[in-house]
Amino acid sequence: MDEIALVKETTQYIKIKMGDEMYGIDIKYIDNIVRMQHITRVPKVPTYIKGVINLRGEVIPVFSLRLKMGMEEVEETKKFRIIIIKLDGSYVGLIVDEVREVITLQNDLTEKVYRDPSDPTQNFLLGVGKDGDNLISLLDLNEVVAERN
Amino acid sequence: MDVSQYLDIFIDETREHLQNLNTQILALEQDAENMDTVNEIFRAAHSLKGMAGTMGYKRMQTLTHDMENVFSEVRNGAIKVNADMIDILFQCLDALEEYLAAIQENADEGTNDNEHLIKALNVILETKGGAVAAKEEPKEEVKEDKPAAGGGLKEKWRDIKIGDVERHVIEEAAKENIHAYGISVYVQETCILKAARAFLVFKALEELGDVIVSVPSAQDIEDERFENDFSIIFLTEHSLEKVIGAIKYVSEIEDAIGEEIKLEAAEPAKTTAVAKKADTKVAVKDDKPAAPAKSGEKKAVGKAMASRTVRVDIEKLDVLMNLVSELIISKNSLVSVAANEVGSSNLAFNEQIEYLESVTTNLHESVMKVRMVPIESVVSKFPRMIRDLSKKLDKKMELYMTGEETELDRTVVDEIGDPLMHLLRNSADHGLESAEVRKARGKSEVGSIFLNAYQDGNNVVIEVGDDGNGIDVEAVKNKAIERGTITPEQAETMADKDIIDLLFLPSFSTAKQVSDVSGRGVGLDVVKSKIEALSGEIETRTKLGEGSTFIVRLPLTLAIIQALMVVVGGEKYAISLGSVQTIEGISPSEVKTVQGKEVIHLRGKVIPLVRLDQVLDVESTRNPEDEMTVLIAKKGDRLAGLVVDDLLGQMEIVIKSMGKYIGKCKLISGATILGDGEVALILDANALI
Repeated sequence: MDEIALVKETTQYIKIKMGDEMYGIDIKYIDNIVRMQHITRVPKVPTYIKGVINLRGEVIPVFSLRLKMGMEEVEETKKFRIIIIKLDGSYVGLIVDEVREVITLQNDLTEKVYRDPSDPTQNFLLGVGKDGDNLISLLDLNEVVAERN
Repeated sequence: MDVSQYLDIFIDETREHLQNLNTQILALEQDAENMDTVNEIFRAAHSLKGMAGTMGYKRMQTLTHDMENVFSEVRNGAIKVNADMIDILFQCLDALEEYLAAIQENADEGTNDNEHLIKALNVILETKGGAVAAKEEPKEEVKEDKPAAGGGLKEKWRDIKIGDVERHVIEEAAKENIHAYGISVYVQETCILKAARAFLVFKALEELGDVIVSVPSAQDIEDERFENDFSIIFLTEHSLEKVIGAIKYVSEIEDAIGEEIKLEAAEPAKTTAVAKKADTKVAVKDDKPAAPAKSGEKKAVGKAMASRTVRVDIEKLDVLMNLVSELIISKNSLVSVAANEVGSSNLAFNEQIEYLESVTTNLHESVMKVRMVPIESVVSKFPRMIRDLSKKLDKKMELYMTGEETELDRTVVDEIGDPLMHLLRNSADHGLESAEVRKARGKSEVGSIFLNAYQDGNNVVIEVGDDGNGIDVEAVKNKAIERGTITPEQAETMADKDIIDLLFLPSFSTAKQVSDVSGRGVGLDVVKSKIEALSGEIETRTKLGEGSTFIVRLPLTLAIIQALMVVVGGEKYAISLGSVQTIEGISPSEVKTVQGKEVIHLRGKVIPLVRLDQVLDVESTRNPEDEMTVLIAKKGDRLAGLVVDDLLGQMEIVIKSMGKYIGKCKLISGATILGDGEVALILDANALI
């Protein structure tokens, strides 16, 4: 029986904190996590696009995850990080409030959620997982980077 | 045999030959008597046939073979060129292009035998090939040709030392009525894959007999360690002619000469024979020994001058370009480090930095040049297309092209063909009126379509136009209203230029009838988006009744540019130096307002002002009372004054894309990384004017 439990499919997530809530980002999309740095503003783009940064010689756009998810902007703290994710061969950076640890969740224990269209933060959810006693919202990165105002 | 490694070369060369054939047959249509043209066509068809045969494309080979037969008769004067024949030949070229497309797609020529074409070619041959008398004479000519060509080449095989073992083999073979031939094969000097050609020669020979000696050795030949020729001793039961024929069948083989080896004549006689040969040759040519004589011979044959070129995969050039980009970025960081070091007394260091700068600039220019190709490769197919359109649409038209030698980056040239073709079709179909209408309007019956290309600063401009009807702004307006693209009220206030711009919207076609030439409405918007994808622009000029011109403006380079660094509201921006004409200091009192827009007077011109701080949504750090720094930017014949806070200087920058997750921003054409690692955005001056 133990053996069966071992081969159960799991996914690793990076746990991030946005406001008071915890979110998970599938680790396979994450290229890098960097500290906040100078971001060059780009004019005439949606407000959630904070600008572009130079990462190893490549120019990468940086989004504010807070603004994208409809949360209010707060003053930058020392814990702010930029998570560099790679989707379809292109890079994009997401500014998050805080990066916690890597967690492993069993796929059969994560639940799909009903997306309430009236709540903008829910549009970006893939599902909800159980991290010990706490709940963790799993982010749908394709929705996060999709162009929408 | 595995020929797949030669497939790319085959496709490239076939395309060149086809293009050449297209051009030459067009020329033949104009001047049916020109023997140079006929010879050139014959040569191209022959090479094509050989190449297709080598690669095992039998259908392609058969078709070219029959075409070659026709040309051969034309060359002999047995057949006269006429319009029907030209049409059939063009159809053959189209069929060949189809084969090529199929080959390119899946390395297979497909199953279309094009029997009707082959039949048509044979009809030409049969019906007109009767003039036997005319045939006789040119044949002699050919015969004369051959020994002359052979004479210029040295029969190097005579230098092969026949050892005891070989001597024994040859003697044994002779007993079984197998001949031993000494053969020297000459590969064309222009040949790129000599080893491959040699390999094909050996392959062909293996089917006929055995190569017992080769000089240089087979290994050396395989590694391409030989000049333009190699010699062999070959055992076969076949005749010498058949063997030589098989060798010459391989394309890019200049010539093959040989003779049966008679061992009785033994060594001493052999060496004298060589000596004699050499003597006579010196006597004939009188000036230089074999090798130079050979090149002289080539010119006599009428071959284009051998250019010293290397085919390089464009991807390798991309890698090179990226490396140069990285070098320039790191050079820029060195410069900024040096500038920040306060103890800048180190003169030697600064000198070296300056030297490095000039090296990287030159390096960049060289790499750019390598990537540049003349647009000729795409525009040379247009005369043929216009000819076909002329027949199809039953309109008389003539295409005039200038500036085919204008060079553009290879990647741009590859992409620009379709949009240009579309514009030309558009001119032919919509632009030009029918002959009757033209006559009534007092124009020449033959419509003219033109394509002019030239370089303008950092841009290449390609103008495509016609002397036809021009764009009927009213018709466009009505159509737009009818389709609901604009409201009648909007139409009232729209300038003609804006209405013409509607033509570039998706699914907008003014052609009253849909033809298969153009008019499906998938036209101009595709052209526009393609050109914009290449960071270019398209502009329209038209005059009703006199014709219209589409002006396509493309950047010369896509990767590295000289830029002017400016500061606006504390942010750094780069502006391509190519679009900046002058930099002026303007006092705020000189700014006038015309129709609610700010303008300045400069040397007799009224130039609109663009305040970059407002455009870029930042606040200027300049005192509004102070003198303003204004860049006078130019786009075509229009000017604009861009107001900036400060100038940082000129810099060589590498253009980086900002990735796909950042939506299109019209003002910004890309980003670059500065010496200190910071990202600066590149302002598209064209979008501001």
